[in-house]
Amino acid sequence: MAGFSMRPCGDFRTTYRQDTRIFDTTFVRNAAILGIVAVGLIPFVLDGYYVNLFIQISYFAIAALGLNILVGFTGQISLGHAAFFGFGAFASAWINNHTGIPVLLSIPLAGMATAAVGLLFGLPAARIKGLYLAIATLAAQFILEDFFARADWFTGGSYGAAANPINVFGYEIMDDFSFFYVSLFFLVIMYVLGSNLMRSRDGRAFVAVRDHYLSAEIMGINLTKYRLLSFAVSSFYAGIGGALYGHYLGYVSAEGFTILLSIQFLGMIIIGGLGSVKGALMGTVFMVLLPEVMETGVSALSVFDWANSTAVTDGLAYIKEMAIGLAIILFLIFEPDGLAHRWQQIRAYWKLYPFSY
Amino acid sequence: MFNETSKGDVEMKKLIAATAMMATGLSVGAAKAEDSVFVGHLMDITGATGFIGKFYADGVRDALSYIKENGGIDGTPLEFESVDYAYKVPQAIANYKKWRSRNNMIAMQGWGTGDTEALISFVAKDEVPVYSASYSGHLTDPTGKNPKTAKPAPYNFFYGASYSDACRAMVQWAAEDWKKKGGEGKPVFSHIGDNHPYPNAPKEACAEYATELGFDVTSPVVVSMKPGDFKAQCLTLKEAGTDYGYLGNLGPSVVSLVKSCGTVGVDPTWLANIWAGDYETLKTIGDVDNYVFPVMTSFWTDEGVPGMELVRKISMESDKTGEQFRTHHYIRGICSVYYMKEAMEWAKENGGITGANIKQGMYARTDWVPKGLEGVCMPATWTAEDHRGINTVNIYSGEAHGGDVKVTKLETVTLPRRDDWLGY
Repeated sequence: MAGFSMRPCGDFRTTYRQDTRIFDTTFVRNAAILGIVAVGLIPFVLDGYYVNLFIQISYFAIAALGLNILVGFTGQISLGHAAFFGFGAFASAWINNHTGIPVLLSIPLAGMATAAVGLLFGLPAARIKGLYLAIATLAAQFILEDFFARADWFTGGSYGAAANPINVFGYEIMDDFSFFYVSLFFLVIMYVLGSNLMRSRDGRAFVAVRDHYLSAEIMGINLTKYRLLSFAVSSFYAGIGGALYGHYLGYVSAEGFTILLSIQFLGMIIIGGLGSVKGALMGTVFMVLLPEVMETGVSALSVFDWANSTAVTDGLAYIKEMAIGLAIILFLIFEPDGLAHRWQQIRAYWKLYPFSY
Repeated sequence: MFNETSKGDVEMKKLIAATAMMATGLSVGAAKAEDSVFVGHLMDITGATGFIGKFYADGVRDALSYIKENGGIDGTPLEFESVDYAYKVPQAIANYKKWRSRNNMIAMQGWGTGDTEALISFVAKDEVPVYSASYSGHLTDPTGKNPKTAKPAPYNFFYGASYSDACRAMVQWAAEDWKKKGGEGKPVFSHIGDNHPYPNAPKEACAEYATELGFDVTSPVVVSMKPGDFKAQCLTLKEAGTDYGYLGNLGPSVVSLVKSCGTVGVDPTWLANIWAGDYETLKTIGDVDNYVFPVMTSFWTDEGVPGMELVRKISMESDKTGEQFRTHHYIRGICSVYYMKEAMEWAKENGGITGANIKQGMYARTDWVPKGLEGVCMPATWTAEDHRGINTVNIYSGEAHGGDVKVTKLETVTLPRRDDWLGY
C-alpha cells in the first residue's frame, strides 16, 4: 500500500519530518476534516437508526484498530480480543461505581486497566509465536470469561453491572443524539493517536517485528518489549471501546463477550485490511452494516404476498445468516488485501485518470 | 390482453418498490396506517439459542398475527414485525432503534438474556414495555429494593416464574416427594451446570431454599454448556449421593449429561430448568425416568382445559392442519402476547395506548388471566414494586423409553411471595 503515492507531480519531500506526516497531502487532510464535520451532521439529517449504527461502528472500530495494531502491524495474533473489550466495559463501570471517578475519566482508566491485563496475557508472546500464541490468547478469552461469571464483586455475576451515563459538567448524556458526539470524539482521538503511533519510532519497531523479527532484533529492537507493548496498546484500545459500549448500554451483562465476538473483530480487520489504520474502520463499517443491509433486503421482500408466510420468513432468516457468511468468503477471495487496498486503487484510478499507466 | 398483464404489472411494481426500499434502506413498516399500534418482535431462530428460541418465537408470532386478523387491540389495528437477530446483541439494539425511530414502537416482545439486558436502560428511558422470555430474578425488582439488583428494570415484564422461583418450586415439590417416598435421612440436592450467567442465575437462591427445607446441598457440579462426555461428572453425583439434581444448562448439554449418567447407572430425580424441560428434549434423551420440569402454562396434551381452544386456533396461523405438536414454550409465548394485549386494551380506555399507560395496565388487575386463555395462562399479578407475575408453577414429570415420551402433571406448587426473594 505504501507503493502508491498520491502526491502531485513536483511535490518532493526534503526532510524526514515531511516524510512522516499523518496526512499525505494538504488535500487529504482537508478532506479528512471535512469528512469528520460531515459525519458530525448525521444526527441532524438522519434518523435514530443510523445514529445508533454509527455509535456501534465507533466503539467496535476503536477496538478493531487495537487488534489491527497487534495483528496487522506487529504480526502477533490474539483470539481473546472480545474478553479485553468486556474487561474494559466492566472495569469502567466498576471504577465509576466504586470510586466515584467521573465516567469521562473512568473510560481512559479502564483502558489502562485493560492494558495491564493485556500485558499479563501477552506475556507468552515473549517466548512463543504463531499458532502457539493463538492458543495462549485463546486461554485468555476463556479465563476472562470465567472470571466475568465468577467475580461477583467486579462484574455482579449473573446480575451484571450497571454503568452510569457519561456526565459532562453536570449534563448527563442520556440520549443517542449526544452520545453520538461522545463516540465521535473518542473515535477521532483514538484514530489520530493510532495513526500517530504508527509513524513514531515505536510504530516502526512494531512493523519491523512483524516483517522480520530476526533482522529487527539484529537492528537493536527489543523483541520482548515491543511484543508486550503491542499487546498493551491493543488491549488499551479494546478497553476504551468496551467502556464506551458499557456506558452506552447503561448495563453490562457477563454474557456478551464470547469467542464469537473475538472472531468478529478478526473478521473486521481482515476484511478492512491488515496493517492499515483506516482499514480497521472500513472493516468495522462493513461488518456492522452487512447484517443490516441483509435485514433490509429480507424485510423489503415482505411486500410480496408469497413472502408473508412463516415458512418463507423463517427460510429467509437462514438465508440471511448464510449470505452474511458467503459475502465474507467472497470478499476474502476477491479482495484479499482488504477494503483499504481497494480504496487506494479507486483513488489512484481517479487521480491518474485517464492515463493510468 | 391488458387484463392479463395487469397482475404481472402489480408484481413488477412491487419488485420496483422492494428494490427501491433496499436501495434507500427504508423499512417496510414505515408505511403504516396512522392510528395503528406497532409492536416489535425480536426472536432468535438461527442463532446460539435458536434451537429453543424458535418454539417461543412461533408462539409470539402466531399470537400477534391472530390478534392482527381478529380485531386488533379493541378495534385499533395492530402492526408488528418479527426479526431474527440470531442472538447477536448489536443487531438487537439496531432493530430496537429502528423500530423506535421509524415505526413509533410502543411495546416489544423480546427473547433472551442477550437482547433483554442490553436494552434495559433504553426501554426504561423510552418507556417501552418489553415482554421477554428472560426469566432472570433481577428483572422482577422494578424499583431496586433488593440491594443486589444492579440495574432496576421498570419496563421489563415476563410471563412466568423467575429461574430462581421455578427452581424453588421444584425443590418444594421434591421435599414433599421425599417424604412421600419414605426416604430416610436428608435428601441430597446438587446444582449441575456451567459457570455461566444462565445456569448461575438460580444457583444461590435455590440452594438457600433447599437448605431451608432440610436438604443436604452439595457443592455445585460444573458441566460445560457444550455437549460432551460427562461420565466423570455423573460419577461425582454418584459419590455425593445426589437424590435431586438441578439441571441448569440448555438442551444439547443436558441431553448428553442425562445420557452419560444413564450409561454409568446414575439416575437421581432430575429437576430441569424450564428451557431444558420439554417434549423435544425428552425425545432426544430417549431413555429416562424421573425427569421433572416446571411449566408455567398447561401442556399441549392436557385435556379439559377451556383455554386450549384459543391456543389451537392460534396455532393454525402457521400450521393450517392444526396437527402439529406445540411445546409449552410456544404456549408461554401466546400468554406473553395476550397479557400485553389486555394491558393495551386497558391503556386504550385509560388515556390512550402509550408505553407508560401499558405499564399501568399491567398493574390494573390482580389474579389476572387473559380472556379466552382460562386454564392455559395462570392467574398473574404485577405491581409497581413487584414484577413477579406468577408464583405458581406446574410441576410435570416426563419419562421416555425408546423414543416414546410420556408427560404427566404431578402437581401445582404455589410459592410464598416472600419479600427477601424479590429480585433474587
